[in-house]
Amino acid sequence: MDRALGWVTKLVFVFLYIPIVAVVVYSFNASASTSNWGGVSLHWYGELFSDGPLLETLRTSLIIGVLAAGLSTVIGFLSALGLTRYRVKGRMFFIGVVVLPLIIPEIVLGVALLTIFGTAGIKLSIVTVILGHMIVTLPLTTLILMGSLASLDSTLPEAAADLGCTPWQNFTRVLFPLTRSAMLAAFLLSFTTSFSNIVISTFTSGIGGTTMPLRVYSLLKTGITPEINALGSLLILFTVVIIFLVGLRQMRRIVIGAEEPDMSTTAISTQTTKGKASL
Amino acid sequence: MRTQAGARRPVRRINVSAWLLLTPGLLSVLLLAIVPVMLVARNSFAESDVYGAVIGGFTLEHYVTLTDTVYAKTIGYSLGMATITTVFCLTLGYIVSNYIVAQTPQRQSLLLLLLIVPFWTDFLVRTFAWITLLGRGGPLLSFFNLFGLDLDSLVPSQTAVMLALIYAFLPTAVFPIYASMRGIDPSLREAATDLGAGWWQTHGRVIAPISLPGIIGAVLLTFVPTLGVFVIPVLLGGGKELLVGNLIVTLYTEFRNQPMGAALSMVVFALMLISLAIAALLLQLRKRRVA
Repeated sequence: MDRALGWVTKLVFVFLYIPIVAVVVYSFNASASTSNWGGVSLHWYGELFSDGPLLETLRTSLIIGVLAAGLSTVIGFLSALGLTRYRVKGRMFFIGVVVLPLIIPEIVLGVALLTIFGTAGIKLSIVTVILGHMIVTLPLTTLILMGSLASLDSTLPEAAADLGCTPWQNFTRVLFPLTRSAMLAAFLLSFTTSFSNIVISTFTSGIGGTTMPLRVYSLLKTGITPEINALGSLLILFTVVIIFLVGLRQMRRIVIGAEEPDMSTTAISTQTTKGKASL
Repeated sequence: MRTQAGARRPVRRINVSAWLLLTPGLLSVLLLAIVPVMLVARNSFAESDVYGAVIGGFTLEHYVTLTDTVYAKTIGYSLGMATITTVFCLTLGYIVSNYIVAQTPQRQSLLLLLLIVPFWTDFLVRTFAWITLLGRGGPLLSFFNLFGLDLDSLVPSQTAVMLALIYAFLPTAVFPIYASMRGIDPSLREAATDLGAGWWQTHGRVIAPISLPGIIGAVLLTFVPTLGVFVIPVLLGGGKELLVGNLIVTLYTEFRNQPMGAALSMVVFALMLISLAIAALLLQLRKRRVA
């Protein structure tokens, strides 16, 4: 039985990589249609880099990603600090509130954001997309940073304060250097989540807020072109780079909650945030 | 009395800075998640004019409309697709996890990395790959052609939608199961085998019950999220058989029928809450049994 299941596992891994390999291979296809092979060429990469409207949406997505991830990391850090450094009454309640966006199915959250912006008379723009992506990634950044701060020796910031550090100095000289890798992980993971998000963007983007996934989605509705495969290959490369930047150790901790028991909530949040992006 | 108050003071001062730190996070969740969802809940009970705009009042009309054939058909179809996706992801996720935990630590890391890459790859990329793979002139049909089988393009088709859904959720389902399986002492497995338990007994009575939290996690991450999918049916199913997600997007962005869309969204949200409640109940029962 175990041997048979070993083979099933191998087939599952093949299944997981067939689409990824196919996108990369077809991106080098010289033929103008995806349905036949016309030899190896870099033609579609050239085509991709001269596609003005697409590059414009790439720029929008980069701006949204950086700002949403930045906001989410900063707010997540503040919440994590409040929840780990102080004995707050009702700590579990606050953690529950902060991770609440996780249990709201993403499509419901998208609809809800559209509704609140409409009710409050806020015009949909790039700002509304940023706010939407920020709230989706907030539980993730908060939990990653909580895990990092909890494993930190709490006497260090206290000693720094006793030695006369102002709270700001305490942050720049003690807390930030000690949590830098977790901050980077939180930022990069929320950046990629924002960068590939399509559900929240569908409901919150207005004029000037068309993100790259929205543009690609509308292009795909009219039919696939090899240019999209070139873009896909670059995005796969980008994913691999991000994983190595975050570091496999950290990545594993974040995805399955390895090493410390405290990380299991973080793992669940990662799975949910990313799993929800699987739309 | 006085000493008590005096002893409390420093704690309270600390709480002020804790509150300051927590305010941005709590305010964000309140304004961008809690209040918005409550508004959707409110709108789902609101009366609407002929154009679908909310005009206040209270009515159950939208929820009643959900039982109309058009809506009921989509909801039923979505529940079916979500069930199939969940069953496949759960079964394969269990098999893959069970395989990985038996490997050496180095091999486990490698296999996990191999799971993380597709898990983290852009969702649209993972979906449109199937258009090429299953489409006319694609590798699959060419392969069948070699054997003289002339098949029709699989895009658009329900098979393609099913495959893409399983593909989208599979890595998500592996991680929680693996996370709860990796803590199991290998000697437990050996003991079960030594006591004469076959494969099914070892897993049914020992491994699966211990991995229950992971299994429940995998279901939570697969079932309800599948209902909200809208990209896959459009790109791979030709937009004929729709999921609840498609209906919500259409109601909000094309028909601008907010109350109807709100009612449907609330159904998805309620299903999520029900699944969470069932999950909590199961884990509670399990805890009691262990104790």
